[in-house]
Amino acid sequence: MKEGRPASFYWLAIVFALFVLFLYGPTITILALSFQGPEGGLTLPMNGMSSFWFAKLWAGVGVIDIWSAFARSMKLGLAVMVLTVILCVPAGLAYRMRFRGSTALFYVTIASLIVPSIVVSLGIGFEFRLIDEAVKGLAEAWDIDWLAESYTTAMGLFTSALGAHLSWTLPFGLLIMFAVFNRFDRRYEEAARDLGATSWQTFRHVVLPMILPSVIGIGLFGFTLSWDEIARTSQAIGDRNTLPLELQGLTTTVTTPEIYALGTVTTAISLAVVMLALAAISLLRRRQARHGSDAGKGLV
Amino acid sequence: MTDRKRTSSSMRFGAGMSRRTVLRGVAAAAGLAAGSKAITGFPAVIAAEPVTLRYLGTAVNQSADIARKVKEDLGIVIEYVPVTTDDVTKRIITQPNSFDLVDSEYFSLKKLLPSGNLQGMSAKRIKHFDKITPVFTKGEIAGKKIGDQGTAPKKVFYLAGATSTKFSPTPTEWITLIPTVYNADTLGIRPDLIKRPITSWKELLNPEFKGKAAILDIPSIGIMDAAMVVEATGQYKYADKGNMTKKEIDLTMKILTDAKKAGQFRAFWKDFNESVNLMASGETVIQSMWSPAVTKVRSQGVACVFQPLQEGYRAWAAGFGVPKTLKGKKLDATYDFINWFMSGWAGAYLNRQGYYAAVLETAKANMEPYEWAYWMEGKPAQKDIKAPDGTVLEKAGTVRDGGSYEARMGGVACWNAVMDENDYMVRKWNEFIAA
Amino acid sequence: MGSEAGVSPASSLVEERGVASSAARLPRAAAAYLLVAPFALVLLLFFVLPIALTLVVSFWSYNEYSITPSFTLENYAGVFEGCVSRLPELCTTFKTYLSTAKFCVSVWALTLLIGFIVSYFLAFHVRSPAVQIALFLVCTIPFWTSNVIRMISWIPLLGRNGVVNQTLTAMRATGEPIEWLLYSDFAVVLAFVHLFITFMIVPIFNSMMRIDRRLLEAARDAGASGWQTLCNVVVPLCKPGIAIGSIFVVTIVMGDFVTIGVMGGQQIASVGKVIQVETSYLQFPIAAANAVILLAVVLMVIWGLTRLVDIRKEL
Repeated sequence: MKEGRPASFYWLAIVFALFVLFLYGPTITILALSFQGPEGGLTLPMNGMSSFWFAKLWAGVGVIDIWSAFARSMKLGLAVMVLTVILCVPAGLAYRMRFRGSTALFYVTIASLIVPSIVVSLGIGFEFRLIDEAVKGLAEAWDIDWLAESYTTAMGLFTSALGAHLSWTLPFGLLIMFAVFNRFDRRYEEAARDLGATSWQTFRHVVLPMILPSVIGIGLFGFTLSWDEIARTSQAIGDRNTLPLELQGLTTTVTTPEIYALGTVTTAISLAVVMLALAAISLLRRRQARHGSDAGKGLV
Repeated sequence: MTDRKRTSSSMRFGAGMSRRTVLRGVAAAAGLAAGSKAITGFPAVIAAEPVTLRYLGTAVNQSADIARKVKEDLGIVIEYVPVTTDDVTKRIITQPNSFDLVDSEYFSLKKLLPSGNLQGMSAKRIKHFDKITPVFTKGEIAGKKIGDQGTAPKKVFYLAGATSTKFSPTPTEWITLIPTVYNADTLGIRPDLIKRPITSWKELLNPEFKGKAAILDIPSIGIMDAAMVVEATGQYKYADKGNMTKKEIDLTMKILTDAKKAGQFRAFWKDFNESVNLMASGETVIQSMWSPAVTKVRSQGVACVFQPLQEGYRAWAAGFGVPKTLKGKKLDATYDFINWFMSGWAGAYLNRQGYYAAVLETAKANMEPYEWAYWMEGKPAQKDIKAPDGTVLEKAGTVRDGGSYEARMGGVACWNAVMDENDYMVRKWNEFIAA
Repeated sequence: MGSEAGVSPASSLVEERGVASSAARLPRAAAAYLLVAPFALVLLLFFVLPIALTLVVSFWSYNEYSITPSFTLENYAGVFEGCVSRLPELCTTFKTYLSTAKFCVSVWALTLLIGFIVSYFLAFHVRSPAVQIALFLVCTIPFWTSNVIRMISWIPLLGRNGVVNQTLTAMRATGEPIEWLLYSDFAVVLAFVHLFITFMIVPIFNSMMRIDRRLLEAARDAGASGWQTLCNVVVPLCKPGIAIGSIFVVTIVMGDFVTIGVMGGQQIASVGKVIQVETSYLQFPIAAANAVILLAVVLMVIWGLTRLVDIRKEL
């Protein structure tokens, strides 16, 4: 890596540029189409040029209260993000220790990724229906009137939907933890332990700083997977839809570039989130650089 | 039982008289609002303590205007839960506690009712029940019988008892779904690209339109479209296109499979949006379609016709249902909402989008005569026809595709359906997709 | 893995020491169980239990109107109906799996190839870490937009009157618009690669960043050509990343029905689609049976993959 660039660099650079074009082509189409005039449709050619559809989006799409759905999805996404991190990191650590049943759990995790989301969703729906019926039955059997009267369902954003989302984000989180700990140098921990650090101190002051960028990566992964999830949520959401579900419901009626305007807005929001995360990571790096650690070599 | 309820609710009304109800009374007295004129019986639940109803359905029938208006009139807050058609049925089965009111299609009833998750609705508490179009109650229009192949609403309209899971062939007090909207579907075409008259369903599978045709990706409906083609070409005559025998399913699916293998279809569409896009972008020139979708394509400046065909229409109907667990104040509010829905304002609103309202009399009172003449009587528009949001749908002078209400609903050949051999049909459909 | 041991002999030594010293300090297994318990509990509640219910339902009988608790193998028989008797003609299930497998293999191969090249370029050819991270983010940002919207945004590009066809016609490259760009196998694969390549790039790039650069220099000093270094050093060291990326891509494609539906014009068979059609008619038992079979098939594929690379051994 000291001499001039090899010929392969230029070839690969071209391939990379083409790849980026492929990646962004559709995004650019959406961007362009969302700026159509009031006559615009969902397909080319473009009809006029204006920010009309953004104004319409701001006023609210169709029948739904888009911003409250937005808020619900945001809350759920954040909860999923936090839980994914605090469940996956310890699980990843546990896998480094080898334990009985680890193979079984590994396959369960993989299975959670494979089973078509619609099936998991129906299963969770069934599960909660059994719970509902049990609660109602008990309430009636024990004559707890207020419960029998007012109880509707245990399903909701932070029960069944949260669980459904976690069954989707946890496998990703764990596999990324595998990637993170792949060839992770145990000598750092040994050194810490030899210096008398407890397990927690070792984790907190040695391991965590090294894997922190990846942990942020897992959080972001969890957030996006949740933010975007449809199939797994559909039968497990209870009575208040998340944003993507409302959007899917809307695609049955919305035939205007409003949906592209929404795409543009969500991309912009994602971009902002990524930028913030990036800023956080670089801040961490700078701090670590000051503390002389070589953490953050890998990036997820 | 119902009498007692009525007294108690009017008592409640007397006690909870609010400023809004007084205002409304004044407005009605002054005859200002034609819509509220129709509500004479006092709703059981008034704004004093606002009730929220969770309204599950497809976004097609959920309109912010309706929610706004009913909040104004009754103080009931409607909270829409928009989902896809498939999800409406699934949620009734898997999450019957997640909604207070569902807007579902009649043909799904055969799958929904046996679950026991829906309760029968009392005809006695529906104010305009007697005025519901006979299309639902008797299967006739202007005294004439209409086609009843498939799951015609009259076959699944009545329940044997309030909580029965059996349909009743004869009228009873208990109604499965209170009708909201219905329509008759046919093929949509692009006259600018086809350039010749289309008069028969058989054109759907005409090789001339290879790679430019589409059907609906709902197996039980897609197969009926194919059956219309089969009958149009004279290959076979079905006893009931909406309830085929295994042999008939085989025959129909074979014709569909051959067409698919020959590349006849560009795509199958699943929702309103897709059907509009396929047509507007020129991917397809002929496909089964919904009336408002055709209007939508036209409003984008693309020529599109909802083509009446000699073999008739395939009709559908939707209505309100209530989960079995709903009771007390919420149930009262649901009845109030449904009564309001049938009192005219909502009916007119739906008629203006190209659907048909269940109670025509009250809808008519809420529409301008020129609107009624255009949408319902098949007469040329005297003025520009506008959508509820004020955009121009049709210029003055145009005539609605398919003509008058009676001509269209009278021309129904079959209804969207779930067959007795549904399992077999679904299996065959999966085979067809894999072919 | 042999190459691994050769790379860092020190680590195995450390491992032994670690085991010895920790045995004195705390019951390691207990700590592991504590750490993994919350994770396992969530999966138990929201995956194992629901799936167990599904499994139970798959043995129930059903007719048009109800699901009846009982024990029957009818649903499984239904799934494999005609699969033996109609040979050599393939039955619906085999055809569907074949179609799904085809997509799996092509999407996997493409994402692996492209993902590897892109990661390789980023990891080894871009010198400044800042540029490296910036370019890496460039690759991941589209991934943060809604899948549904990313998918439908291909439609205006690929349609009969779409951008691509208009450009080609304007350039007089084709007389007639190309039809197979949209609602075809091509469109499905394109959309899959577009949607899910991030899942391949992230773990491979991660693996590559962990490769000690001194190894590459050592290889070069030992006279290895660029190609030899790639095959004998880089690829083996990237295996865990490749395996993880492959698991992501293969499992997502196997269970998908949304992408295949939208991009294939609902005309292409996939296992997910079969299940979706069945559930839309509330035929839960047979849908459950199909899901159980799918689960078994994919687990076998993953089992095979982990035979090749045991990602857990690499921790």
